Parts: sequence; structure tokens; C-alpha cells
Amino acid sequence: MGKKGLLALGFLVLAVIIGFPYAAVAQLKPGDPIVIGVPTALGSIEGRDGWMAIQMAVEEINAKGGVQVGATKHLLRAYSIDTREHEPGIPVQDALTATEKLILEKKPHAIALGNFRSEVLLASMDLMSKYKLPYICSIAMTPLFQKKIADEYDKYKYCFRNCLNSPYLAMYMTEVMKFIGKQFGFKKAYIIVQDTLWAQATGKGLDKWLKENGWEVASFDAYALGSSDFSPSLIKVRAQKAQGIVTFFDMPQSGILLKQARAMKIPALLAGFISPVAPENAWDVFEKEVEGMVNMQFEIGPVPVKAVPKSVAFNENFGKRWGKEARVKLSGHGPGPSYDSIYIFANAIERAKTVEPDAVVKALEQTDMQGVVGRIRFGKDHQVVYGVDPKEAALGCCFQWKKPGTRVVVFPEVVAEGKIELPPYMK
Amino acid sequence: MDCRKIMLPSIIIYGLINSVILALIAMGFSLTFGISGVANFAYGGFYLFSGFLVWMLLNYLKFPLILAIMVTIGVTGLLGFVTYWVILLRVRGIALSEVIATFALGVGILELFRWMGFVTYEFTLPYLKKGMILIAGVPVDYQRLFIIGIGLGLVLFLYFFTHYTRIGLSFRGIAQNERTAISLGIKSDRTAALSLAFGSAMAAVAAIVILPLGIISINTGYEVLLIAVAVGIVGGLESVPGILVASLILGYAQVITGTYFKPEWMMVVYLAAIVLVLGIRPSGLFGKFKELEERV
Repeated sequence: MGKKGLLALGFLVLAVIIGFPYAAVAQLKPGDPIVIGVPTALGSIEGRDGWMAIQMAVEEINAKGGVQVGATKHLLRAYSIDTREHEPGIPVQDALTATEKLILEKKPHAIALGNFRSEVLLASMDLMSKYKLPYICSIAMTPLFQKKIADEYDKYKYCFRNCLNSPYLAMYMTEVMKFIGKQFGFKKAYIIVQDTLWAQATGKGLDKWLKENGWEVASFDAYALGSSDFSPSLIKVRAQKAQGIVTFFDMPQSGILLKQARAMKIPALLAGFISPVAPENAWDVFEKEVEGMVNMQFEIGPVPVKAVPKSVAFNENFGKRWGKEARVKLSGHGPGPSYDSIYIFANAIERAKTVEPDAVVKALEQTDMQGVVGRIRFGKDHQVVYGVDPKEAALGCCFQWKKPGTRVVVFPEVVAEGKIELPPYMK
Repeated sequence: MDCRKIMLPSIIIYGLINSVILALIAMGFSLTFGISGVANFAYGGFYLFSGFLVWMLLNYLKFPLILAIMVTIGVTGLLGFVTYWVILLRVRGIALSEVIATFALGVGILELFRWMGFVTYEFTLPYLKKGMILIAGVPVDYQRLFIIGIGLGLVLFLYFFTHYTRIGLSFRGIAQNERTAISLGIKSDRTAALSLAFGSAMAAVAAIVILPLGIISINTGYEVLLIAVAVGIVGGLESVPGILVASLILGYAQVITGTYFKPEWMMVVYLAAIVLVLGIRPSGLFGKFKELEERV
């Protein structure tokens, strides 16, 4: 063999070594499982519950024989890795390294649940592109995700999102604030958010809307991750006589904001999202001081909505699978979409008749099915469409904590089971 | 009442509360350093250990609150005592090794709790008493009043303890001049171990009164260490009056920053103070630790 032959052989070997990981995962032999990778912040309540919901969906599908790919059925297998990205001080790079470790070790065909922090989500999109992995994100919410897909479709077409995003959250909140303004004559709000991309984006969106719609925004404060003293803002809320406090937080410490507001007798209605206030056990954990809070449930499921039977079934089955204690701790963001994401993948793979990434992406784009969150369809920017009618779109809702410790759905009207009322400390 | 009339008393009252919180956190760290010369970087770990221990005693073993508090203070003090004999005895006097050993222990404690799943919003301690009163039109809950009371009580206790008890006098003897104290029969290692026990027990007291205002989260342990170091550096690591003055400066600076500027800059106050004081007066406002070097 001459020099040219050796060189050609060398290139061939190199091509096989580099290309093998990509090619191998795209082919399934009979008996091979379809592997789902779940890199997420397992220490966060959203990550923990999302991972439990995914395992539940995998078990349900496997109990029925698995996913039909062409002529054979394949079982699903899900592997998680803790990215710890919800913790203060964890650099984006660490979360990405964990994600890549999972990809290289478990060789998944798709990624579900995914990143918790928007900053990590944006960075991880390049990883998905590099490994050509269909990815459905069910927690991180930044709208920049969609912008990246719209700007560079060919590169980022593998990325999808089925949870609520910041603009949809702002949309729901504007409707709620519209109602609060009309019902109670409130015109002055105070916005308090955590200093992260999604919360800042949502807060700014709402700030703009409030100002354009006759509200006065007394102030807009952001707190660093891990903060647990909100008294500087609460002092100003009281001094400036704000009637409503709008909050956007997903850090564990944020629940204490309510406790501090009650301790300081702040006469303002709290509305928005405080992650620890969403679960069913928040009434007991925060010693009834959540009463009156109007909290978003980003996606239904953890709060069952009668108009969407799958949300009720999910809630009940979660309790059967993981116990009542786990069910009452179900977080307000992530579990429903995480569960749905496995069914979305299974459905798309069955339609594509392969796990080849580009074919799966095409099938995902054509998804139209009913899930825990309502009707699931992806827009051109790969974001699931949210709305106010579960027959037409996926659904988020708003509930108010009322005595004797129940979460009463107050928005959207089509699924509402009660109306927003002023809490006792404001009457 | 207009906005300014409410804001000023609010800042005065909440600034004072914040200052006492900082002093409570920093005093145990300062006490240990002042006596034994050991910078106990496991302090944040001990603080969080106390919080979780009370929580576990209340929720798993259903202890009455007061018993849970007493047990926790005792156990944390014992932990500090044992830490000296098991870990610090062999590296005593080698400052870098002391810092590495205690920091590793602190991180180990914090990350152990993380590994055990103590990471969600459910870990809260109860208020000692619920309710609030109005002071100059500003609502203040009883828990914050307890903090002020316990902070002042602890300062008085420390004063009388170090001036009128045998152990307290041995603390002062070692702090003033270790070799002379040894020549007078004071046992250096025993006193240093006791100082670590006292400092750790004070971390437990701080945790028990401060943590009900928030939740017990892992990063609180790291934050507490930063606060203790920042207050110590500004006031002078071994000086109790320095700790009190530094707490007032940083406490009010934080509340004013949070109220008039942006809450996300509150944490920057500590870091800016450390950099500023180290640049101008490395011993801190009242410290004498490096005074000779500064003069030279």
C-alpha cells in the first residue's frame, strides 16, 4: 500500500471514530432500548418532580410493550444526571459538563426535561446541535431560546420546549392583573423578582404592560439567587402604599417572602409566581401564611383541572406511584410537561418509524396531541403554544390560596372554580 | 404619614436588626480567633448543622422546642470541642493548615446535608413567638425583637463570663499572652478547645434565632462564613467592640443599599468592605493583630 493508500485508510479510520457515536445511536437493533437522557437540577423541586414524572411515563409506556419503531417494539430507558445548576455559584460550564458526560456515557437518542436555568439552556443548545439530539426542554423559560431557533434553524432545529415561557407567563399575568385592577380598583404595583434571565424577562414584560395600562409601578427590585431577606423591598411597599406585589421566583428561599410580608403586616395582595408556594403542602409548610396569595401554576397537572381529564389522571397516578407525600409536594412548574415530553417523543418516533434525529425532529414539528397540559402543538419557533382554552392550546392557570388550605383555580375563566378575593388582612 | 416619614424609622429599626444579626453571626467566629488564633472556617458548617439539627429534633423526634434548642447548642459546642482535639491539635500554629482543615470540614458538613437531600423549601424553623408590634409606625415581629434581645444578652454574658469566671479569665489570659498564661498554669490546648466549643455554641445560638426569618438552605452556610469574615475584617478579628461597630456599619450600609439602591447589591457591601479595609487598615478598625506591621 502506497503513501496515498495509507493516508486514505487513516482518514477512513478517523471518520469512523468520529462518526461512530452519532451513527450508532441513530440505529436500533431488535431488543435495543430507546434511551432518554435527563440532565437537570435534581436538587430543585422542579427537577426532582420532573424526573419522577418522566420515570412514571416511561413505566407506563413500557408496561404497554414500549414504542413501536417500524416493525418492532422498543422499551424506553431513562437516565438522569444532576447538573446542580439551580444552586448559587454553580458555573454554566459545570452544568454543561454534566450534560455532556451523560450524552457520552449513556448515548441517548433524545433529551428530556433538561435545563433548569435559562443561561444553561442557551449554552446547552450548541451541545444538542453538536450531537444532533432531539431535545424537549420542560423547565427553563427564556424567550431567547426561540429567537436562537428562529435565527439559526438548521443549527438549533433539534431543540423544542413544551413548558411555559416568559412571554406566556407575562400574558397570563397581564390578564390576572387586568382582573385585579378592574375588580378591586388597584392601580399601584410593586415588582419583586429574582435576578435570573427568565424572572427578569417576565418582570420587565409585565412592568411594561402595567405602565401602558394605567398602573403605577412603585419599584422593580431584583434579588440575587439565595437571598432570604426581602425586608428592604417590603419596607418600600408599605411606605409607597403599593396595593399589589408582583413576584417571580423559583428559588427555595423565596417562600419566606410571604412569611416576612405577613410578619410585617404589609397590606398588599401578592400575585405572581413563588415556586415554594405552588405545591399542595405549602399551606402547612408556611403555617397558613400563604392565604390570599394568587400564584401561577405554570402548567396544569400538579393542580388538576376538571376540564382536562388527563391532568386529573396525572395527579392521581403520581400519588399512586410515588405516594401522597410526593403528590402534595408537586411543584408548580415542570412535572406536567416533563411527563408529556416522553409521550411526545414516543409519538414522534412511532410516526417517524426511526430514531434518526432529523426524522424525529420533522415528526416533532407535526405533533398535535392531548396531554396533561391540554393540547400540544409546537409553533414554528419550537415552543408549545399556550392559551386559555385547553381544547386549542396548552394551559397554565392561576390559583388563589383560600381557607381551609385549598388552591382555588381563578384563571382562565373557562376552567376557573372560583374568583379572586381580597385576603382577610386587606379587608 | 408620607413616604419619607415611614422610610426613615424603617431604616433605623431594620438597620439595627440587621446589625444585630451580623453581630450574632460574627461573635462566635471572633471569640474563637481572639483566644486560640484559629480562624474556624467550618463556622458556616456548624451554623447550618445547628439549624438542621433543631429541625430534625422537632420534626423527626418531636422534641419540644426548648429541649431541641438546648440539645442543639450542647451538641454543636461539643462538635467544636471535638474538632479541636481531632483535627486542629496537629496543625495548631500553622495558619494555612488551620484554614484548609477547617474549611474542608465546613464544606464537608454543608455538602453532606446537600447529599442527604436537605435542599428544598420545607426546612424552616418556627418563630419563638408569633406576632408583631408597631414601633414608630413600623411593624416589627417578635422574632426580630428576640434577635435584638438575645444579641444584647450574649454580649453581656460574654463580658461577665470573661471577667468573672475561671474559664473566662483563662480565655483572656491566653488571648493576651499565651506563653505567660501557660507559665501561670493555664492549659493552652484545653483553653483553645473550649474557645472552639464556645464559638460553635454561639453559632448555634445565632442559627436558632436567625434561621426562622428565612429557610435553612445550604448556601446559607457559605453566606454565614462570608459575613463572619467580613465583619471580623472590618472590625478587627479578635476585637468584640470592633465586631459590634463593624456590624452597625455593615448592617446599616446593607439596609440603605437595599432601600435606596438595588437589593441585588446588598451582598456587594460585604465584599467592598473587605477590600476597602484590607487596603487601608488590614487589622480592621479595632484590631491589633497586624498593627506593628502596619506601623512599619
